[in-house]
Amino acid sequence: MRGEELKGHLDALLLAALEDGPRHGYAVMEALRQATGGRLDLPTGTIYPALRRLEEAGLIAGSWSVVAGRRRRDYRLTAAGLRALSGKRADWRDFAATVSAALEGRPCPNPA
Amino acid sequence: MPEPGLIRDYLAALSAQLPAEIVEELADGLDQARQHHLGRGLHPDAAACAAVAEFGEPQVIVAAFARASPARRAARTLLAAGPVAGGCWGAALIASRAWNWPVPLPARVLFGVILITIISLLAAAAVGRRYRAVRRAGAAGCLGIAALDAAMLTAVLLAGPVLIWPVILAATVSAARLTFTARTLRPVLTR
Repeated sequence: MRGEELKGHLDALLLAALEDGPRHGYAVMEALRQATGGRLDLPTGTIYPALRRLEEAGLIAGSWSVVAGRRRRDYRLTAAGLRALSGKRADWRDFAATVSAALEGRPCPNPA
Repeated sequence: MPEPGLIRDYLAALSAQLPAEIVEELADGLDQARQHHLGRGLHPDAAACAAVAEFGEPQVIVAAFARASPARRAARTLLAAGPVAGGCWGAALIASRAWNWPVPLPARVLFGVILITIISLLAAAAVGRRYRAVRRAGAAGCLGIAALDAAMLTAVLLAGPVLIWPVILAATVSAARLTFTARTLRPVLTR
């Protein structure tokens, strides 16, 4: 799955990757790869600006530590981030159910 | 284990365009990617090559940081709000019969040049792909808009007795924009 297909969903994926606890950028990417069975094809370097953007929006908080003489930035989910993740999950379920219903010719489970 | 030349060159390309703090974070991630590939049994040179390939082209990363930068967001917001503020001031100047004001032509031309320069700076920050250029243009554009709004508000305060509702509306819009710019300027200048 390539970056263009993830447009609009990357934030939710990053927030979900931080749900289990603080992670640094590379660990976030690894968690996403594991969760998707390696189907995510995104340049790892582009995860970092997205993390900075989420931090600025107050959805995650970053902090520096020193590991093996090298500075490392870890990110954790904030309360606002947790709420945003919950909302994005509900939106995704709704979106997926609607599109699946249209593509597979099934009635929509929760018609508006 | 020392960093291979390939990774040093990659980080140097990023350092030329991104702030040191961001490069430090990327360097740590790149090192972990390299360790990951070494753990898979790759030769050190192949592990470095795989780590760099995994991270993506430096220009792609720099462009992604430019897109996520506070300077770009501030510039886009100010550009989007520009027609509203401009329209309000235009209405205020027409209602005040500004063409009768004793303002010399060079001052009018200078005002126009300053306005066009500020809009150009904001446009450059809104679409640029080079992080530092986006940050510089965004900061200069924000400062320019703030100075312009402050000057207009000062002029309104000095012209107190001729206050009419279009002028009050335009001044309110400028005050709101000035507040936004003041709040935005710190992240634009520091990140």
